[in-house]
Amino acid sequence: MTEFTLRSNLDAMYTVFLARVRILSRYRGWFLMDIILPIFLAAMPILLGRAVAGTSMEGNFLKNVGTANYVAYMVIGANLFMVVSNSLWHFGFWLRNEMQMGTLESLYLAPVNKIIILGGVAMYTTLRSLISFFLAFTLGCFIFRVNPFQGDIGIAFLFLLVGLIPVYGLSFLYGSLVLKLKEAEALINIGQWVIGFLMGIFFPVTVFPRILRFIAEIFPPTWMNNGVRSALLGLNYFLGEWYLDLAVLWAFCIIMPLAGYYVFISIEKSIKKNEGVGKF
Amino acid sequence: MFEDVESFYAMCKKQLIYMARYPINFITSFAIVFIIILMVILATTLFIGKEETNYSFNAIAIYGMILFMFLSDTLWTIGYNIRWEQVQGTLEALYLTPASKFASLISRVTISIVWTGLNCIAAVIFVYYVFGALPFKNLIFSTIVLILTLSGTFGFGFCFAAFTLYLKESANLAANVLQFVFMILCAMFFPFSVLPDSVLKISKLIPLSYGVDLFRSSLMGYPEGFPELLPVNQEFLIILLFGIITPALGYLLYRKAEKKVRTDGSLGMY
Repeated sequence: MTEFTLRSNLDAMYTVFLARVRILSRYRGWFLMDIILPIFLAAMPILLGRAVAGTSMEGNFLKNVGTANYVAYMVIGANLFMVVSNSLWHFGFWLRNEMQMGTLESLYLAPVNKIIILGGVAMYTTLRSLISFFLAFTLGCFIFRVNPFQGDIGIAFLFLLVGLIPVYGLSFLYGSLVLKLKEAEALINIGQWVIGFLMGIFFPVTVFPRILRFIAEIFPPTWMNNGVRSALLGLNYFLGEWYLDLAVLWAFCIIMPLAGYYVFISIEKSIKKNEGVGKF
Repeated sequence: MFEDVESFYAMCKKQLIYMARYPINFITSFAIVFIIILMVILATTLFIGKEETNYSFNAIAIYGMILFMFLSDTLWTIGYNIRWEQVQGTLEALYLTPASKFASLISRVTISIVWTGLNCIAAVIFVYYVFGALPFKNLIFSTIVLILTLSGTFGFGFCFAAFTLYLKESANLAANVLQFVFMILCAMFFPFSVLPDSVLKISKLIPLSYGVDLFRSSLMGYPEGFPELLPVNQEFLIILLFGIITPALGYLLYRKAEKKVRTDGSLGMY
């Protein structure tokens, strides 16, 4: 009789993590893309802004946003967007790939708790996102000549780390949608742009009308994005102080993973009862 | 000839059936266009003072986006579809049929080009009504420029399909990188004047840049400083050659790549 100990669970989680890392090592270009893409994303509004406002762009941006450092603002936004978007891509595509390769059902037959498998995938995604974030941010700062050592780096890092937890809760919710509707590509495509829009990758959410702003504010990545930008660029926090904004993110840290996991398990159960998880 | 048309029709029908099985794809592709437009325009407003309004920047971004959507579509649908046939294990089977290879390539993009065209029309209407009037001048000439540029991008698509046969899984990555590289180098969302000199030199080497420049300049009625790269007649000549030569060259490359992988026996391998 197999005995499930903490050690065996951690081993299983590590194995899932290792499998993902091995696949990534065979397709190194994916990782390169994680680093290059935020630079292209940031370049678009920066160049458009230069075209629109010419020499008065810094003054206009300061008036509208609260900082004249529009380059850093866009670079941070684009990089955080990639972190959030990647968590959805990696998780959604992991599920979809397993479905298409026909290995998802076998994975379900393995004598291990689902949370351990999901934990392994989340561990891989976290590590990949964090490494690519730091590399992309450094490269972006170098290309756009932004000083990366400005503002409260410690607080910004705290917002990033704490903000990642609810993002993985969101990816569980996403995973359940992929399980149910199958069309991972379409869902992830729309999801990442909706998220980019709501978290305000190129603009503050204060430009939104009231209802849209409310929706953006019940969305954890918005708080992470605003927290990191405020800490580094001296912008206003939503609630005035950094610890109050961080407290809201902590609340999301409890709500989102629980809600995400609950929805994922419920949908998974209903699918297992009907067509089965392997159908695509 | 008639058989080729028939097989083209059958392949288009198959693509349409396949797309219809994934309706969320249809809906999301519409929604994404609106979200990207909103994001670009909201970002632009941050750089404009309260007293300034300049609709031509909306036009630059929107008309550039139309070409970006077509380019992205061509890269993904021609190139990545070949990859998908490999993954499904149907590519070799397809090659065993006596159907035209050219029809097979073109059919992949026909349905999605029609769909992207509808997306573009919806995007233009959306911007027109939400953000204000867009200039629509020289419509016939702009349409000719668009068709020639599209024909050129088809050529890119064929080249990319050839590349896919060699690259296999990395084709996905290459399509992603290429579309963003072209987005910046061909100044699709902003004027060429904001590109640094070194980047502009590279932009001028890409014929698609002239397509982007002439398409939006003609639609905007050639405001001062437009077209930015060359005079109209010279840009048109480049686009004409681009529209004629690139598809032929791309298809030639594809046939060569195809012959090579068939000889190697790696056509269906992934």
